[in-house]
Order: sequence, then C-alpha cells, then structure tokens
Amino acid sequence: MTGRMGVYLCSGCGIGDAVSLEGLAKLATTELKAAVCRTHPFLCGDEGLALIREDLASGAIEAPVIAACSPRVKTDRFCFPPGEAPERVNLREQVAWCHAPNDDDTQMLAEDSLRMAVARLGKLSPSQPLAEAVSRKILVVGGGITGITAALEGAAAGYEVLLVEKEAQLGGFLGGVKKLYPTGTPYTQEEQGGLAEKIRAVSANPRVTVLCSTRVVQTEGQPGMFDVTLENRHCSTHRVGAIVMATGWRAYDPTRLGALGYGLPDVVTNVEIEKMAAAGTIVRPSDGRAVRSVLFLQCAGSRDPEHLNYCSSVCCMTTLKQIGYFREQDADCQVFVLYRDMVTPGPYEMYYQKVQNHPLNFFMKGGVTGVRRDDEGRLLVSADSSLIGARIELVVDLVVLATGMVPNSADNEALLSLREAKKSLERNPTDKQRQEAVAVVEQLGSLEGSQVLNLAYRQGPDLPILRDGFPDSHFVCFPYETRRTGIYAAGAVRAPMDAALAGGDAAGAMLKAIQSIQLATRGQAVHPRVGDDSYPIFSLQRCTQCKRCTVECPFGAIDEDEKGTPKLNPYRCRRCGICMGACPERIISFHNYSVDMIAAMVKAIEVPDETEEKPRVLIFACENDAYPALDQAGARRATYDASVRIVPLRCLGSMNIVWIADALSRGMDGVLLLGCRFGDDYQCHFIRGSELANRRLENVKDTLERLQLEPERVQMVQLAIDNYDSIPALIDDFAARIRALGPNPYKGF
Amino acid sequence: MADPIILHPDTEFIRDVTRGGGADMKKCFQCATCSSTCGLSTENRPFPRKQIVEAQWGMTDRLIGDPAIWLCHNCGDCTTRCPRGAHPAETLSAIRCAVIRRLAFPRFMGGVFAIPESAVAMLAFSAILLLSIALLPAPSPGSSPLVFAQMFPKTRLEPFFFAVSGWVVLALTVGAVRFAGALRRGGAEGPILSNLVPALMEIVSHRRFAECGAQQGRRWGHLLVFSAFVGLAAMGTTVGIGSMLGLMDTPIPFLNPLKLFANLCALVLVTGAAVLVWNRLKDRQARAGAVFSDWFLLILIGGAGLTGLLSEALRLTQLRAAMFFIYYTHLTLVLTLFLGAPYSKFVHFLYRTMAMAATRQESSSSGWPITRRRQSPATS
Repeated sequence: MTGRMGVYLCSGCGIGDAVSLEGLAKLATTELKAAVCRTHPFLCGDEGLALIREDLASGAIEAPVIAACSPRVKTDRFCFPPGEAPERVNLREQVAWCHAPNDDDTQMLAEDSLRMAVARLGKLSPSQPLAEAVSRKILVVGGGITGITAALEGAAAGYEVLLVEKEAQLGGFLGGVKKLYPTGTPYTQEEQGGLAEKIRAVSANPRVTVLCSTRVVQTEGQPGMFDVTLENRHCSTHRVGAIVMATGWRAYDPTRLGALGYGLPDVVTNVEIEKMAAAGTIVRPSDGRAVRSVLFLQCAGSRDPEHLNYCSSVCCMTTLKQIGYFREQDADCQVFVLYRDMVTPGPYEMYYQKVQNHPLNFFMKGGVTGVRRDDEGRLLVSADSSLIGARIELVVDLVVLATGMVPNSADNEALLSLREAKKSLERNPTDKQRQEAVAVVEQLGSLEGSQVLNLAYRQGPDLPILRDGFPDSHFVCFPYETRRTGIYAAGAVRAPMDAALAGGDAAGAMLKAIQSIQLATRGQAVHPRVGDDSYPIFSLQRCTQCKRCTVECPFGAIDEDEKGTPKLNPYRCRRCGICMGACPERIISFHNYSVDMIAAMVKAIEVPDETEEKPRVLIFACENDAYPALDQAGARRATYDASVRIVPLRCLGSMNIVWIADALSRGMDGVLLLGCRFGDDYQCHFIRGSELANRRLENVKDTLERLQLEPERVQMVQLAIDNYDSIPALIDDFAARIRALGPNPYKGF
Repeated sequence: MADPIILHPDTEFIRDVTRGGGADMKKCFQCATCSSTCGLSTENRPFPRKQIVEAQWGMTDRLIGDPAIWLCHNCGDCTTRCPRGAHPAETLSAIRCAVIRRLAFPRFMGGVFAIPESAVAMLAFSAILLLSIALLPAPSPGSSPLVFAQMFPKTRLEPFFFAVSGWVVLALTVGAVRFAGALRRGGAEGPILSNLVPALMEIVSHRRFAECGAQQGRRWGHLLVFSAFVGLAAMGTTVGIGSMLGLMDTPIPFLNPLKLFANLCALVLVTGAAVLVWNRLKDRQARAGAVFSDWFLLILIGGAGLTGLLSEALRLTQLRAAMFFIYYTHLTLVLTLFLGAPYSKFVHFLYRTMAMAATRQESSSSGWPITRRRQSPATS
C-alpha cells in the first residue's frame, strides 16, 4: 500500500493526558508523510468516526491509521468500509495506561508505535480472497447415536448430509444394548434411549442419504471441496464441504487383563454381559448355571498407565445398570462391586444411591490383587481394601470386568511412519535404510488398514491424535476441532462419553462443520482467525524443496509433488503463518502478513545511540495469549519498563529468525518472545507454533555467536492469557538484565 | 501380614440392622465425615465409618466383638453431619440391637423387642403369667384395708420374682460371657474385671453425655433415669429379701425412710423418662431416627414408674375400682422389663460397662481413647 494515509489520534481514555499528541501529529505529518492528521477527544464516537469517513469519502486519504485503543477492542466501531479492519496503534492499553505520563520514554514509545503501524500499512498488499465453488454437503462417518444425531442436526439446519456406516445397519454400539442407564429426572429409571425413533427419523429424512455397509476408501481435497470415495460393493466419489467423524469406540482389549482373571471361565467384560443380557438370561458361561453371586471389578484396565490412562466416564454407571440385570433375574443374588472411585457425576448420583441402597448390593473400595478359580469352579477374588483396612477375599459365581472405551480412531503418526518405511523399501534403499524400514514395517505392520478416513494428505492418512488415541486438537480450547480443517470429531471418538453427552457433541461438531462450510464459501479462515481472508502465497521460483513447510504445517494444509515442491490447499489453511516462520528462503507470505512487513516494522523503530543510555527491547508477542495479556496488564494499570517495543505475531511459530538478526544488527539490545505454553499440555492455538519457535531459537544462538553477542539477549517466555499479573516483573527483569549486559555494540552501525 | 478376611455377607444381620433403624446405612459412601465429627474416632480406628461398612457387608463377627459400638453414647452428631443421610447414629443403635440379639441366651429370645409384634407378645406373656398367679385359688383373707396381696399373695409373688430374677441373671451371665469372648477375639485386651470400677465411675459421672453436641438434654434425662433405676433396684432387692426373710412387712408405711426414698426414686424415674421422651419429640431428627426398641424400652420404664406411683396413690386412697388393675399393669410392665432385660436396649448397661472396662487405657488422661472434643454443630 503506497497510497495517501491519514493518522487519527484519539485523546480520550487518558491518552491525551499521558502522551503529547502534538508531538505525534508532528511526527505523522513530517517524517511519516501523512496526508491528513486529526486529533479528536472521542474518536470512536459518531463524531470522531465521521471525521475519518469524510476523509475517505472525499479522497483525502486512502487508508486511516487509528492511534487510540488496542486493536482488540472497538472493532465494530473502527471498520472502514464495514468488515475491514484499519491499521491500529495501541496507544491506550500498551502506552498511556502502563507507562509514566508525559515522560520522554513514554513519548518515544508512542512515536515508535506509530512508526511501526505506518510501516506495516506500507507493506500491505490488496486482498484477493479465495472464491472457489464450495459444496454444502456434509459427510458424517459413523452411524451410531452420535452420527445419527449429527445427521439430523445438519439436516435440520438445512444442509444435505451423507451418513456412512460400515456395518449393515445404523445404531452402532447402542444397537446392541438392552437398556440405557437413566439420563433424565428422576434419574432412577433405566431408559430405552430412543435409538429406534432416531434411526427411523434419519432414514426418512429427505436431506439425509444413509449408506450402510460402506467404508471410506479415500478422502481428497480440502474444506468446501472434499472428494470422498466410498466403497459399498463398488466405489463412488462424492463431493462434500465438511466431515463429521463419529466413529465411536470399541471396548478395551480384555485379553490384556489376564491379571484380573480374564481368560478364566466365568470372567467376562461389561460389553459381553450387555450382549448376554440383550440375548436373554445371563448364566455362568462355563456350566450354564444360574448366577447367585457376581462381582464387578471397576476400572478394569482404566486409569492405569499400563492400560488406558483415562476414565471412560461410563463404566460405573454401566455397572449400576447391569446390576439391575442380575437383580431382575434373581432377587436374592448377591452383587459385589470393587471400585477405586465410583464416578457418577451430577444427578447420576441419584441412580448410584438407588442401586447402592439395595441390601444385597455391596460396594467396597479396594484394589484387586488376584482372581483365581477354586476347586469347586467358583471364582476367588482377593483385594486390598482401604475401607476395612485389611486384605479381603470374595467367592463368587461370576466376575464382570468393567472395561473402558478405546476410540475408533487411527494412529496417524504410526501410519505415516509405516507408509514412509514401505516407500523407502521400494526406492533401492541402502542396507541401513532397509534394516530400519523393515523394523518399522514389522513393528507397525498390524496397523495397516486401520485408517478410517484414508486422507490423501502428505502428513498421513488420518487425523493426528492429541493423546490416548483421541483425535482432538486441543484439550480445553477447541472442542470438536481436529488438526485437519473441515473435519470435526464428535462423540466417543473425541473423548470418552456416554450416549447423553454424545448427542450434544454431535450437534456441536455439526455446527462446526457448518461454520467451516460458511467460511469456506467466503474464502475465510476458521477458528481462531475466523474471517481472515489471507492465505500463504509461495514464490516457488526460489523454493529449494526443503519440505520444511509441508512437514511443519500443524494442519497438514500443504501437500507436495514428487520433487517436494509444496502445493498449498488454501482452504485447509488456518493462517497461523508457521510455514512463513519455517521457510529458510522466506518465499512464503500473506497479503497482510509477511517477513518483509515485520522486518519493516522492526526497522521503523528508532534506536537511540549508545550515549543516550536508552536500551531497546523488542517483544514479539503471540496475538492469541501474550498480546491480550499485555492489554490486560495495561487495563489494570500495571506499569513496566518503557524501553519495550511490541510487535504482535499471529503465532510465535510464524517468527522468522531473520527478524531477530535484523533487530540485533540494528542495535536493539534484547529480544523477548512471548508465546503460549508448549509440550504435553500445550496452549498454542496452532498446536506446535510456540514449540517450533523455541526450536528455531537454537539457530538464533548460532547467529548471536556469529555476531559475538550474549545469548541472554534473546529469551522466550511461555505466557498464558491469564498471566497478566506477571507481566510487569517479567518485562522489568528482562530489561534489567539487558541493561546489565550493557548496550548492544552494533548500535549506530 | 494378617490373613485376608473372607467376605460372606450375613444377610440376616443386614436385615436386622436395616429393620432395626439402619434403613439408610446403605447410603453411606464412606466419606468419613462422621469419623471426623466423632470424638471416639482415632487415626487407626475410623469410627463409625468402619462400623457402617461392616454393617453394610454383614460382617457380624467383627461387629459383635467391637467395643467401639458400645462406647458410642448415641449423641447423634454424626447423623447431623452426614452429607448423605445415612443416619450413622441410628444405624449404630440398630447394630447394637442386632448384636444384643446375637449375644442373647436363649438365642430365640434375641429379637423379642426388635419388632412391635413380638414386643407386644412379650407384654401379653407377662400379663398372662401374672394373671395365672392371681387366679390360682388362694387363701385370700378379706382384710381391710385393701392391700395388693389380696390379688397377688406375697407367698407366690416374691418367689416368682426371685425365680425370674435368677433366670434373668443367668441369661445376662451367659450374654456377658459370650460378649467377653467376642471382645477378646476382636482384640480388646483390657482386663475387664479389674477395670470395672473405673468404668462404672466413668458411667456414673455421665461425662460422655456432656460431650454430645446434638442432644444436650439427653444427659440429664439419662442421669435421672439411671440414678433412679439404681435406687429402685437397690430398694426393691432390699425390701424383697427383707420381706421374704420376714424382716419387713409390706406395704411399708408411707413415712418410712425407705418408702420415702423409693417414692423419690420413682418420681425421678418418671421425670427422667419424661425428659428423654420430650427430647425426642422436640427434636425432629431424633424423633425420625429413633428406633422401635428404644421407644418401647422408654415406655416400659416410664410406664412402670408411673403405674407404680399410681398404684401406691390408689392404695392409699383405697380406690378399689382402679387399684388392682393399675397394680396389675405395673407388675406386667415390671415383669416385661425384667424378662426382657437381656434382650432389650436395657442390656447396654452390661455390655457398655464391659466394653469400657475392656478398652480402658491407663495412658489416656480421660481413661478412654477419646481424641478430641467435638464442636457442636450449632456453633460451627
């Protein structure tokens, strides 16, 4: 953008009391060559906005720079034309509210902020939104309660739905269940669950196409234009705009529970009991005799690092329900439950109380130490009991293992390794390569065919998993979102849950799928940069096929050709800029975000010379957490060192280390990177951005060595949005350390 | 390591506890709020949490030999605090009843006061027994003024009551021996006999009641009933023996110090029983939680005191119409109390004393393992 620019200064909210607006106006009209510069005491008011609109309408300016509050606020007021965000200078939260008023340093910060905004504006290119045809059809994979509910919700919202089920009929796990535990008041009566009605409704719905005995053979393309190949005797290809993955769960493999007696006659799982109950009377499998006493072992293979690490949340309630099966058969049957904790949250507690109240239902907290069969063919269960403070033994006719849920997902990373190993074997490998590849194939070969969606993606054939096999993308912040844009997980494949919760999950994921289609139609990004119409543009003539972008993109947006040249699927892109940070050739840029643009902002900062003793600390702040935290610190009037110059980044992962080199070689004294927490409990909105930034900092160390600078001049800190209280100490300490190191020797070069 | 406990729930015991006032015990989910409320709970003996789970699981053997259930003074603080409405205090009462039943001699008499039907049958049995004494052909000298001996000749009544007493003492002795054995098996090692005196002193002091937060009035009610009962028992035995030996003649004149003392005891007994009844009635929770056998015993005691006083008044006023009937009622209540002593809550005087003797600790300042004073729920 090189057109006429106008600077609008707001003196409201205390800005005019802390900063000399005359000084800023002088800077704007002289050095920054603003065509217009106006000051108003209430810029976001109708009168103030009218000033800007008039200048735009008269052609006096082409683009406004608003120097007022944080760009995170009043976005509904400052938009010219409607929907377009103008350049903003954060004079309120990050200058006037957190630094000494009418102070030289504060004024210099305000001036540099204005310089950076103008520099950024100068590097903007016009937007060219994506505008391909988008399918409004939604594929739902899995015809259990979640998939059926999702299909009905999608149809109710006016969307065509393709519901695919691999079995011969709809219903999923619930199809084989005798009764459901209560999910509504008074929470004491078992339910039928209404599955049959839902199956009828979905089968009769004109907007829903149901395909049973069908598998997904391949999923190609991107949101708005997935081409899905389905196999049902023969193959057919369908174009859909988004996908809801509702493939449910399977029982944890009980053969791994030999320590709890599985494998002995009359030791069965809760899933097996459910089938026996649905088929008729439950008897001892070994001799067909009536069950006079039964013991349920809770948490069988759950909440155990050697088995399932998590609580499946349904086994306790299922046990309470299944106790009723035995009670119905025999009023005098003695039912024992050995538990670690009974998990019956919320009103489910009422059902627990009801079942617990029966005099012949016995509950005992304890850890099982052994299950064996005595001479009479009965089962002897021994346990440590923390309730009566002694080891206990129980002799029963039947033992039921309350096993947990395993998501019906695929291990994308393992499948990718397997694929790479197989490819390597085909390509005349060296002996060492061959050995490694054969080892991988031996180890992972059993996973072949476990993929569900068969994604034709460079990063693997299925959804990456967050942990424990669940293909979520963030534990807390983004439910339903997987790391494959346009594909949303719902129900027990996303997290362990019961049928009641799965219904809500289905609706949530379906709404996400609809959002994704709507945004794709407008060529815009989904969460967290909703509405962003930019996308990465590759200057491929300079590409060295290093594949860093195709490997590091957290969302698998970039495929590659045989040679390794990246091929972007822009609708898969979430606009984080991690590819931009990854590219060593710096060939990736967005129309409104680029290496050049940030470099220009860094260059716009005035660096006082050594004699002035005014250090400069550059802060790259993640716009998702760190930048709002800085705003919050300002809003709470926390004060901190005014030597900082804050540049917001889409994600710390988009940081290109050339900016750090630029800043240091221009004489800035320190660089502080504020990003989200990474690791197992990462908070990064783009999964791995902050982690990648941290890794790239290793390279910065080399740069610093080359420049003969202290490595302490560059530091990365993990900062969450609610850590605003720690900001003053964090910044002041860093600034103090930088002052102690003395000025950057490159000042003035 | 100790041998594992093989769990075979005693469903009879569970049923007894459930019917005898522990209907809510299954609601307990072992949070131990009761144990943190109860001063009897120590680090290694989480009372009454552990007793509740043992009752839930019908672990009769462990409960029979557990002195802790007798150390409980039924203050009800645990019930007040229980977040799940499991009524631990009432469950403990029911556990005690069920244990009494299992210690009973002969065993079939054990449950006699557990349910209204058999309790009423017991009353009827006493009434018929007494009636048969009265109706036997007897030399009834038509003396004047009227004395009760005209209906119940002393020559029959006194030997009869001594025979009954002998039987009751035998039943109590067998129960005590059984209980002592159970206590030993349960691990209570205190020398019961040599600790009897301090245990009785502790009981006489009623200090434990003072620590009850929820039901302060019970202390006075129990103290009155307890003292009066001791007095009346001593008096009754003295006069009975005296009369039998021909040293005394009944009725004893009203102004005889012995008679005055006995009357005072009877008044105190009735007052104490009234205080206990009033406490239960005014406290909704205590009322709801009270068990049939408790009520029955209270009615027997209060009724015996009341009809005793009434009989005397009628005799003194020579109201022929009512005098014999009320006396007959009085004797029926007293006999039921006597016969039922080894099987009713009444027998707690024996088992509690033994349990306290068996758990007495020289090391503890209080003499018993009470860890701390509870806070009254009203003040917390």
